[in-house]
Amino acid sequence: MVGTPVLFIVIPLLAAFIIPLTGMVWKNSVRIIPGIVLSYMLILSISLLWHITETGTVIEVIAGWKPPIGINLVFSPFSGFFATLMIFLGLLVWVYSYKFKRNIDSEPALKYFILLMLLVTGSVGIVLTGDIFNMFVFIEIVGISGYGLTSFYTRRDSAEAAFKYLFMGSIASTFLLLAIMIVYSQLGTLNIAEIADKMPMMSNKLKVISLIFFMLAIGVEAEMFPLNGWAPDVYTQAPGPIGAAFAGIVAKAATYATIRVMFTMYDLSGAMDFLIVMGILTFIVAETTALRQDRLKRMLAYSSIGQMGLVMVAFGIGTKEGIFAALFLIFNHAIIKGLLFFSGSYLVYTKKEKHISDVNGMGKYLPITSVLFTIGAFAIIGLPPFSGFWGKLAILTAAADSKMVALIAIILSVSVLEAVYYLRVVNRIYFFPKKESMETQKPTINALIAMISLGIIILVIGFYPDLITGFIDRAAADLMDKTGYIKDILTINN
Amino acid sequence: MEKYLEILNYAIYGAAILLLLIGLYGALTKKSLIKIVLGLSIMDSGVHLLMISIGYLKNGTAPIFSPGHENELAKMVDPVPQALVLTAIVIGFGVTAVALALVIRLYKHHNTLRIDEIKNLKW
Amino acid sequence: MDIINIILLVFLAGALLTAFAGKVSSIVQDTLFLITIIVPAILFFLNININSETVISLSKIQLTFGLTPLSLFFAFIVFGLAILAGFYAVGQMQGKKRKGYLYFNFLLSIAAMFGILVSKDLVSFFIFWEIMTWSSYLLVIYNGKNVQQIGIKYFVMSAIGAYAMLMAIVIVHSLTGSFLISDMIDGFADMSAGMKLLIPILLLTGFGVKAALMPLHIWAPDAYSNAPMSYTSVFSGALSKMGIYGMVIVFMTLITKLPQESLIRDIIAWLGAITAAISTLWAIKQDDAKRLLAYSSIGQLGYIVVGVAIGTPLAMLAGLFLAFMHGVFKSTLFMVVGAVEKQTGTSNLKEVTGLIRKMPWTFLAALISIIALAGIPPLGGFVGKWMLYESLITSNHYLLVTLVFFSSTAAFLYCYKFLFGFFLGQEEKEWAHVKEAPAIMVVPMLILSAISVVLGTFPQLILKPINSALAFYGMPDTYNNLWKESMIFNKWGDQVALTPIVYGIAIVFVIFAVFLFFKNRKTSRYVTTKDISTSGEVPKEYENLTFKENFFQPFLRAVEPAMRRQMDKYMLAFAKGLEDLFDFTRRIYNGNGQTYAIYALLFVILLLLLSNNLFS
Repeated sequence: MVGTPVLFIVIPLLAAFIIPLTGMVWKNSVRIIPGIVLSYMLILSISLLWHITETGTVIEVIAGWKPPIGINLVFSPFSGFFATLMIFLGLLVWVYSYKFKRNIDSEPALKYFILLMLLVTGSVGIVLTGDIFNMFVFIEIVGISGYGLTSFYTRRDSAEAAFKYLFMGSIASTFLLLAIMIVYSQLGTLNIAEIADKMPMMSNKLKVISLIFFMLAIGVEAEMFPLNGWAPDVYTQAPGPIGAAFAGIVAKAATYATIRVMFTMYDLSGAMDFLIVMGILTFIVAETTALRQDRLKRMLAYSSIGQMGLVMVAFGIGTKEGIFAALFLIFNHAIIKGLLFFSGSYLVYTKKEKHISDVNGMGKYLPITSVLFTIGAFAIIGLPPFSGFWGKLAILTAAADSKMVALIAIILSVSVLEAVYYLRVVNRIYFFPKKESMETQKPTINALIAMISLGIIILVIGFYPDLITGFIDRAAADLMDKTGYIKDILTINN
Repeated sequence: MEKYLEILNYAIYGAAILLLLIGLYGALTKKSLIKIVLGLSIMDSGVHLLMISIGYLKNGTAPIFSPGHENELAKMVDPVPQALVLTAIVIGFGVTAVALALVIRLYKHHNTLRIDEIKNLKW
Repeated sequence: MDIINIILLVFLAGALLTAFAGKVSSIVQDTLFLITIIVPAILFFLNININSETVISLSKIQLTFGLTPLSLFFAFIVFGLAILAGFYAVGQMQGKKRKGYLYFNFLLSIAAMFGILVSKDLVSFFIFWEIMTWSSYLLVIYNGKNVQQIGIKYFVMSAIGAYAMLMAIVIVHSLTGSFLISDMIDGFADMSAGMKLLIPILLLTGFGVKAALMPLHIWAPDAYSNAPMSYTSVFSGALSKMGIYGMVIVFMTLITKLPQESLIRDIIAWLGAITAAISTLWAIKQDDAKRLLAYSSIGQLGYIVVGVAIGTPLAMLAGLFLAFMHGVFKSTLFMVVGAVEKQTGTSNLKEVTGLIRKMPWTFLAALISIIALAGIPPLGGFVGKWMLYESLITSNHYLLVTLVFFSSTAAFLYCYKFLFGFFLGQEEKEWAHVKEAPAIMVVPMLILSAISVVLGTFPQLILKPINSALAFYGMPDTYNNLWKESMIFNKWGDQVALTPIVYGIAIVFVIFAVFLFFKNRKTSRYVTTKDISTSGEVPKEYENLTFKENFFQPFLRAVEPAMRRQMDKYMLAFAKGLEDLFDFTRRIYNGNGQTYAIYALLFVILLLLLSNNLFS
């Protein structure tokens, strides 16, 4: 064990304050320090993930206040899986965008890496915290750094996207506070474990109302169907790698929050079915909308939303197989969508409008990027032998085991649409003549490293999924063990 | 007087919710970006008021353990919502600042403050 | 490490190496490509072991590999065609672009077909099925022509089939708790009536797509005619047989346990027969040789489906024999078209004429294969068709046999059109420069033609493996050798025997040929087509004496009502309608931030109103 979970929060926050100061002395430190911090966090989380396979969940009690009074951080197989995945992707985003802005002296570049680091920190915080109000704070950290990153480019319509995100985010945070207050006024505690423990004491009506408010608040970040209008705009207007960060980090954290609230905190019987309905709605609407997009990143964004809907469905199935499938889908989505955003933004790098038709004929000029995009597209469609297939198989198996035949049919028929729009892009890359007067931008070496490592992971997991199924299995078991979670936290004595 | 205060207790909740609804109304119906940001702020204030009123205790004292007041535990107001509100206010302040900054950017870019005219990103 | 794993690894490594070897040298690439096909084939045929089983254990799933007699039979088709088409491909790809791309996907799809055949569990079956789908998809769009239409159509149909299959697979898993095919077969009897019906239908949908069965066939004409011919010969010859392979298993193991057995059998058989009839008509109409053969392939697959669906021992035998024969002669014909196209630059039957003297070996291969296709004795196609008719008649499917007979007869028309268009007719100056295709392309065709001839005389060579394959799945083995049920194989003693007939015909042919040769040896001379006089008039050089415009127009006019409705158009209109619908529904994201906030509010209000129903 290299450290304790609290370092996930402390180190990056500390670094975020120090970086502007060191930046005055040594310009490049603005870029380098976030990378070092993220690498440290990755090492820490991997070692912790390894550590907990032997000792069980690590619970960090902050400032000596034991739960339920003090804030606690929980590094369990479940939250640890999320945290590791998100930090890994955050590090890759950093690697990818290391030279993204050449002129480091310019003002926004200074903030890019700090904001990225804060985005990761906030998301990790959401995942690790055992306190519902603390979760609110971290959601706001993610939100504010997200607004900043979205409006990073001044020349595009990025302010518009950021404002929409902020608008929805503010309403969400208001309702989140309301929900938290309802719960607090009834149960007198903010600790998730204790809330879960005392939940039967709450009146049914208030339970439902607060759950709905939670759903609204977290659903905005988790890109649930009627609340996701901001998401495609943000994915489109944010810098390319940040799209990957939103898909792979923020959406994951929000999904985690959804599950913690729906599954651990509340004991309402309809909640899981509700999650299935919302998930499938999100999936259908997003995938059908993606079909006729003419901007590449927008298409990727809708596809990402759809995938998150699928994850919700998998969680909603609620059995251990379902949660296993959901976690596998989350893993797949993080790496595959990351690769697609990474390579996709180079395919349309030089074009202002970033139409899908701008990728025409790129296969010849950007061969490696194109192959990687193709691998990503095949993987997200769920074709073997890429990793996406195992996730799809897992969710379908889970649905079949729960006797949800109609659900299988819906998922599969919508998947056909997914195949259509991805293959249309791939066809364009290889078989359409390149547009005239179209210069290309070769990916930088660090971007190539990020993309190729994702591509290799996709292939390796595709051929040998057992590399991660062990972790996912433990994580799923951990989530299923609700009473264990409550007991672990409430009886801690250090 | 007692009765009157009893009603006042609930009136605080009522006022908080009224603020919330006013803010929501403003944010959802007004077309001006500035007014929307104002609406969001008012909504926030409503929630903050609600949080404070949850912790409120009639004739309560400040939640400070000082010599001679050890037995007044039951009379102390709940300190947690106050702490939360402080945090929430700070966050709300930050978000409002970002929002206003974005509004300035939007105005420069689109030359308008009407939200229904800023629709370059759609479908 | 089992031999099957090694073979799969060789394929994979070879495919990757071949894809990038083009950077080193073209010859190295060609050699690697051929090695990657031949080595696994040798490894496989030296180590055939029906009873062995290999398990690759993943944490949740056991991928099980092994051989059955049925898959062994299909492996003959796959490897045989792969080797010959591989050599052919090397010849055809000389000096062409995207060689590495073709080789890579070619090898992958061969590997995938092999994988399908050795899969004993449904997951690995599906994995290889999908690999086969996308590698063949990448070859269908190989020439870049109209990829968004043709490619997507192929992929969507394949995906529909594959996903139907996947649905069946996960349902089977939920019911039996196992992915093994044998467990599916064993557990099938205990399933509920609804599932018993659903699972075979889903599986048949999946296999029907690859076998180009009637409503699912719309991808086939475009896909077959657009892939490079070296691959199409495998595509039509072997890949489509994977659908047949699956159908055979479903019909022999699942359908037999159904109460509605005869109904399903009749429906599929009729679909097969209708497919055969309609696509034969379409084949007659085509002017492009590739499309003609593509439709012809669909039609031939229709016969095979009829045989498999009827499912009496003789029909099954006929179906599988036809499957093998179709693999042999249809891939030869596709190779012929490829060779002609390579030498002349076009495959249009109206443009290319009179190649008989320029490409004599290609003509020979085409002639033999066409005879086999038409089902004229003594070539292999005859045996298969005879057995099919006989089985249909003995199982009282008189209407069906009429339809099959009609399409089989109508097939003569396109057979003639094909042969005439390319090779006969007047020699034109435009094609004076055309030479015979390179030997590496011609030899595979001739080998395949030789197989056609041999199998016409000695069908037992193939009927024996089919027999043991069927016996493996429990076909009633009443006569020791199932094929003895057919008249031409002496069911009732020795009245009608195949071999004497064949020898008789061959002797007549040889005597006639010798007679002609000696009679005309002295006096014969080459003449051009214009070296004639009709009614005393000598035709001018520019006059067109061939009748390739509007070939068979009266016939086509007569059958036109049957061809007026095209499944293709309906499906495309449906797809277009869906796209427009989705284009409309995506307008809910209208770009106004406030609207999104209102959605959020409506979401909350709606949930609050419905909360009593949603949560309890």
